[in-house]
Amino acid sequence: MMVPVLLAASEVNVALNVAFGVLAVVMIGAALFVVTTKNVVHAALWLVIVLSGMAAQYLLAAAEFVAVSQVLVYVGAVMVLFLFGIMLTRAQIGAEGNLNNPGWALGIPVALLLLGVMGWAIIDLFGDQTIEEAPGGASTQAISDQILSPYLAPFLAITFVLLAAAIGAIVLARKD
Amino acid sequence: MTGLITSLIAQSGEWQAPTIDWHAIAPELVLIVGINLVLFIDLWIDESRKWAMATLTGIVLLAAFVPTVTLAVTGDDVRSMFDERYVIDNYALVLKALFLLVGYVVVLMSQTQLEEGGYYQGEFYVLMLASVLGMVMMTSSRDLVSMFVALELLSVPAYMLAAWRKRDGRSNEAGVKYYLLGVFASGVMLYGMSLIFGTTGSTKLVDIARSLGEGDLIAIQVLGVTFVIIGFAFKISAVPFHTWAPDTYEGAPTPVTAFLSVASKAAGFVAISSLVFIAFPAADEVYQPLLWVLSALTMTIGNLIALRQTNMVRMLAYSSVSQGGFILMPLAVAGSGDAAEPALKAVVVYLLIYAFTNLGAFAVVIAAARKTPSGSISSFGGLFVYAPGLTVLMTIFLASLAGVPPLGGWFAKFGAFRAVLEADTNAGYALAVVGAVNTVIATAYYMKVMRVMWMADVPDGDITPVVTPAPVQAALAITAAGTLALGVLPSLVVRFGDIADLSGALGR
Repeated sequence: MMVPVLLAASEVNVALNVAFGVLAVVMIGAALFVVTTKNVVHAALWLVIVLSGMAAQYLLAAAEFVAVSQVLVYVGAVMVLFLFGIMLTRAQIGAEGNLNNPGWALGIPVALLLLGVMGWAIIDLFGDQTIEEAPGGASTQAISDQILSPYLAPFLAITFVLLAAAIGAIVLARKD
Repeated sequence: MTGLITSLIAQSGEWQAPTIDWHAIAPELVLIVGINLVLFIDLWIDESRKWAMATLTGIVLLAAFVPTVTLAVTGDDVRSMFDERYVIDNYALVLKALFLLVGYVVVLMSQTQLEEGGYYQGEFYVLMLASVLGMVMMTSSRDLVSMFVALELLSVPAYMLAAWRKRDGRSNEAGVKYYLLGVFASGVMLYGMSLIFGTTGSTKLVDIARSLGEGDLIAIQVLGVTFVIIGFAFKISAVPFHTWAPDTYEGAPTPVTAFLSVASKAAGFVAISSLVFIAFPAADEVYQPLLWVLSALTMTIGNLIALRQTNMVRMLAYSSVSQGGFILMPLAVAGSGDAAEPALKAVVVYLLIYAFTNLGAFAVVIAAARKTPSGSISSFGGLFVYAPGLTVLMTIFLASLAGVPPLGGWFAKFGAFRAVLEADTNAGYALAVVGAVNTVIATAYYMKVMRVMWMADVPDGDITPVVTPAPVQAALAITAAGTLALGVLPSLVVRFGDIADLSGALGR
């Protein structure tokens, strides 16, 4: 969805496209730091930037509910959990020697192949089409109407996923 | 403030309460009530009476079984809810009944082991019921979101059940491996689902089918279909996505292994067949070659590695990988010629028969566990001398897995081969040849176990008879009766899995 928006810069909202480009560059840069830094805590903090950038992208796409959830869940809960996890399990919070898997180089051709295939597929689909501005995106109210009517079954199931996860985590983590 | 609330309420006129058919979702509701009952009663019950939790769980599963029967009896109309995203048809009912029965047998197999191991019994059963709830929901899901959530609901408890022997390093390894690869697979699958949703504009399977059927597939839809199928291929441990299976199966507590290798795998197949028959009929040029390769690789590699195993559970793990290849076989031709009808029937019948047979084999391993602590195949030597009953049962189960008539397995294999031959394509015939060769290879390692049990000497010379606990005896009785009955009277199952039972299949 993002690529054609950028390609169509001359015809639609220019500010939107500039913002998209800036955010995308920041996110890619931060994502590279996540995997190259030798310090686990730094990697977690760089990840905060990637995830916040994603939230901003959702806002640009007029999906405010998803954006707020992204901030609450990923930037808030998941990152705090990461940092807690690192602090509770590691004696030393600093740079570390070699964190890389010995076979890391194998990942590069796979990643490039996926990038090529995905990029080609998306450009093949959209070409230089412009996407019309959404009339207001999915409002929070529309999402709640959907969740509580057609998607009620999965919504109910999610509650049991969380219950099961909590029970299992307590049993596996407690000392006995 | 009041004005704001009033205006908000005034805006929300579009929402309409969904109509709910309480009878149709009775199995799910019974399970939901049951989960809460087990959870709360376990809090207050005395440690010496924890055995009651297994009984209660069994009762919950059987109580959930009752409405599947009443629904089947009250006519074969299709009941759908939530904008036709949750459908209760005969296909769903048969598979719901299967999952509930498998859950019941696994409870019977778990009880003694949990009591002796001092594991957390109440929590174990809560997680198992939650996982069964996910499987039961999977059978009715006709929507990508429901399918994904059902898959998570059946997997998340299973990840933790695999690590349940928490003082054992191998069990921890089993849980972590299963979890990491399962989450990775979920990610791949979700990405595929988002591509499909993005290009078809719907998460409903019937709408996806309609949209894919308009004109040729575009590249991104091909990727979407591929990613979704690969995601489920992890779940059914198809080669090359099977690497988690042997370690997880070996490290997890044996009843959990039985549960994973039967119920969890069957749920993956249910999802794949719902997708193949309802959502992807127009994408047969994508899924058929993909499933063909997966099926051929899964049968062959699973079998070749199973030949070399010396550990009983590992051997059964690889054998269940290769059985998965046989179940994929009819799906790989589901879009050619007249093969759709026999293909769906073959998958459903195979799952039913395989469930009895494989659970039975694991029940024997559990019953003999006290005499065979190392778990190696050679430690089963001379089983006939001190446990003739178990030996006869194990021979029945292994022969059924190998496909020897008149046991259930032959009819399952017969259905799978019939479907690929019915397709009448070169790919179908080639797959049938691969399948035939693999049936012979598989027989070799099942025979090896039989020979050890019947002919070899008892390794430690101790021939005091083993005492099989009553619940395991009940599990053995159910599975043996199923294996024998379905082999002698295949007409009992042959009426299940008609293409007409699956509402929306092939655009109907």
